[in-house]
Amino acid sequence: MADTVSLLAVFPDLEPAADAIDKLRSLGLAHDQMNVISGIPVTEAMLGRPSQWTNVPRLALGGAIGGFLVGLFLVFTPLLYFVPVGGQPIIPGPPSVVLLFELTMLGLLISTFLGVFLDSTFPSYRPMQYVPEISDGKIAVFFNCPEDERERYTQAMTDSGAETVKEAEAQQL
Amino acid sequence: MASTTMPMEHAHSEEAHLREQHLMLDPRPRGEMNAMIMEAMHYTTWKFWVVAAILGAIVLVGLFGSWGYMIAEGLGVAGVNRPVFWGIFLVNTVFWIGISHAGTFISAILRVFKSEFRRPFTRAAELMTTFGLVQAGFSIFMHMGRVWLSYWLFPYPNQRQLWPNFHSPLSWDLLAITTYLLASTMYLFLPLIPDLAMARDRTAGGWRKNFYKVLALGFRGTEGEWTHLRNAMNIFAFAIIPVMFSVHTIVSWDFAVATRPGWNSTIFGPYFVIGALHSGMGAVIMVLAVVRATMKNMKYFIRPEHFDAIGKLMLIISMGWAYFFFNDYMVQWYGGDKWTEALLHWHEAGPMGWMWFLMLIVNVAIPWLVLWNKRWRSNPWIVFVVGLLINVGMYLERYIIIPISLTINRMPFTWRMYEPGIEIPLSIGTLAFFILLYMIASKLIPLVPVWEVQEGQMAHSMKKFGRETVVTVSELE
Amino acid sequence: MKPIDLNEMGAIGAIAQEAEGKWGMVIDQDLCTGCQACVAACSMENNIAFVGEEDASYGRSLQWIRIERFWEGEYPEVKMTPFQPMLCQHCHNAPCEPVCPVFAAVHSPAEDLNLQVYNRCVGTRYCANNCPYQVRVFNWRDYERPEPLNNQFNPDVTVRRRGIMEKCTFCLQRIHRAEDLAKAEGREVRDGEFTTACAQACPADAIIFGRLDDPESRVNQLSKPDRGYQMLEELGTVPRITYFKEG
Repeated sequence: MADTVSLLAVFPDLEPAADAIDKLRSLGLAHDQMNVISGIPVTEAMLGRPSQWTNVPRLALGGAIGGFLVGLFLVFTPLLYFVPVGGQPIIPGPPSVVLLFELTMLGLLISTFLGVFLDSTFPSYRPMQYVPEISDGKIAVFFNCPEDERERYTQAMTDSGAETVKEAEAQQL
Repeated sequence: MASTTMPMEHAHSEEAHLREQHLMLDPRPRGEMNAMIMEAMHYTTWKFWVVAAILGAIVLVGLFGSWGYMIAEGLGVAGVNRPVFWGIFLVNTVFWIGISHAGTFISAILRVFKSEFRRPFTRAAELMTTFGLVQAGFSIFMHMGRVWLSYWLFPYPNQRQLWPNFHSPLSWDLLAITTYLLASTMYLFLPLIPDLAMARDRTAGGWRKNFYKVLALGFRGTEGEWTHLRNAMNIFAFAIIPVMFSVHTIVSWDFAVATRPGWNSTIFGPYFVIGALHSGMGAVIMVLAVVRATMKNMKYFIRPEHFDAIGKLMLIISMGWAYFFFNDYMVQWYGGDKWTEALLHWHEAGPMGWMWFLMLIVNVAIPWLVLWNKRWRSNPWIVFVVGLLINVGMYLERYIIIPISLTINRMPFTWRMYEPGIEIPLSIGTLAFFILLYMIASKLIPLVPVWEVQEGQMAHSMKKFGRETVVTVSELE
Repeated sequence: MKPIDLNEMGAIGAIAQEAEGKWGMVIDQDLCTGCQACVAACSMENNIAFVGEEDASYGRSLQWIRIERFWEGEYPEVKMTPFQPMLCQHCHNAPCEPVCPVFAAVHSPAEDLNLQVYNRCVGTRYCANNCPYQVRVFNWRDYERPEPLNNQFNPDVTVRRRGIMEKCTFCLQRIHRAEDLAKAEGREVRDGEFTTACAQACPADAIIFGRLDDPESRVNQLSKPDRGYQMLEELGTVPRITYFKEG
């Protein structure tokens, strides 16, 4: 849509940002038409935003299952080449538990870590819409609005206490 | 006579006092804290370079030089012999794995229990875990007779058609330590991403800009990114605790499953875990005291309250260590096995008996005598000395368990003492390498998780209960 | 499920298992004169390196068999106890085997012997720690062989390099040679057809080696449970060597 513009409003604190999001909603924007970036984890509930979907726990579970299966394979590797030791069974019971535990945890933790990368599309070094001020504790709200209503939106943001409202430009981070 | 209304001035001074005491009640603008951390990273005196150069020389000669010589000559240049087949290399391994436990303990267990005092120093502790494990890995590989074949220990399909022997505790060790090293590195990295993004935004150019840009992965702080990060950190905090316990338990099994007097003890698992925490906490407090004294702006972030809180933990852990030590000793003593009896006698009355008594003094007596006092344990230098002594004591404990206990076995004809040789420069080399890595890291990555500190400061406030002003915390997560 | 038979468990079971072994040895401590001929013969047979005075006195000699000697009482009222030749006991349940992470210490089901695979060893030395008999030795260095000893290598035995464990093999190369010969002639190996280097060199005939699974063999005749004892029997390792003392 050629006639929309992407705006970025920077707020000094939580209250004005939450206020601004309410205003954007009443101006007719849907939640998925705006985005918030912040320097500390601001929960969705604080800003009155819907909960974010995250795949991390599911990926973690998948990784744990994968790790367990790798462990299971390792437990049964002695069957590929019989070597009796110390009068113990070829597949020792308690040591197998140790093996399964470690590999399950390894799978769980690696997939949790990679889950963050997948879900957040890390690493991405393309230019992105950003304001460095957010790492100083500011909260920034992005939204798309029709080009001809730009003034109204800007005014609404300033009324809520935005420090600056400007056109969001993708920049190299 | 007594006035019923509290003078305003008094109330103010009370608040000021609380503010001075608690970092969480003494908030500063985020931008200012960022600037302080950036300055701490950039501000480097000539002393830093001198120390780093000396440590670098020790690492080159003591660690890599001596190790290369030992690989070329064989383990004969070390002090190991029969019956002391395991010497200081394994003492170092157990020691460094022990050091690595405090990072996870502080960061994961205190995060799970929402202990707020952890916030400014979780990263400082986690760094110890990663770098401690690096030294432990070095020590294990040094110990091997044919280190150039050490890849045979890893499970991978190979031409020999052989997989590792999973009956062996060393195979479990390898898996557990690898898991722990990877897990603790990832756990260090996740909460670091927002701070790297902060450093990226505040670096104008040069190699540092590229360094932070690459490592920050393009983090912006969107709601989604924070949600994924929080979820992942939560999973890590819970899951890494059993991994941490398993690592040191498995290390203890290297000894406990052996058919040797003194080693074959069912309590070795928890005894080693608490011993690891004992030395690890001592090391954390030492690192914090040094970081606070030498790095710029750290006196704001690390305060006596933190030494007080860790000091309390050290006291509890010292009691726990004494409990497990006595439990192990009691059962071994009561058993009446003649070899175990000979071993206990050798520990206490042998030529190295002073180690046994010194271990008890510095691991138990000194922490108990010093750390009960809030004023003493709030003093960074007093707890630094206590931490140092505990680490000496825990090193002695491992020394007694490994080379001294190996002297005594069921074949008295082979009993022989152990005298360390090239182990000494190699041990100093690993210590120097640990400190050097830490020093380099302290100049490259923000040592205080600023966003976590700010989050904590938002959650804390003062509240009046009657006449008293108290600290309250709201749960933000 | 198999019913539990108490005769297969514990000490009685251990004795039952002991009879199942293939190769075994009997050492009569009352006959041993402590002459060390076995130690020398073993070193020659198995290409054992000479570590020199300094390393030997620091507990690094590589001998696979050693003569342990003790005395009782205070000087000058000392009384010698019988010499105790000590070598790998070839345990049926060997503690050294399961602790090796790379399967370098393994059990031979065919010969019921304890094997050390030199080229697989990475030198963790766990097996040596876990051996209650302390009969495993480690190559601490690459040792030089002075002239003319470099001309007397046994071609049937590997020369070991630094960084690996080694130990008594019950002269496995002799066992194999005898077995090959017997197989070529289409028969079983006869008792006394060959023996280990230590037993061969013993002037007092204090070491006797042979087949445990042959009820008529000399070893089997001698190593009846009531006549001898086994080293550290209480550990349940089921050693294949029986000792006699004051018998």
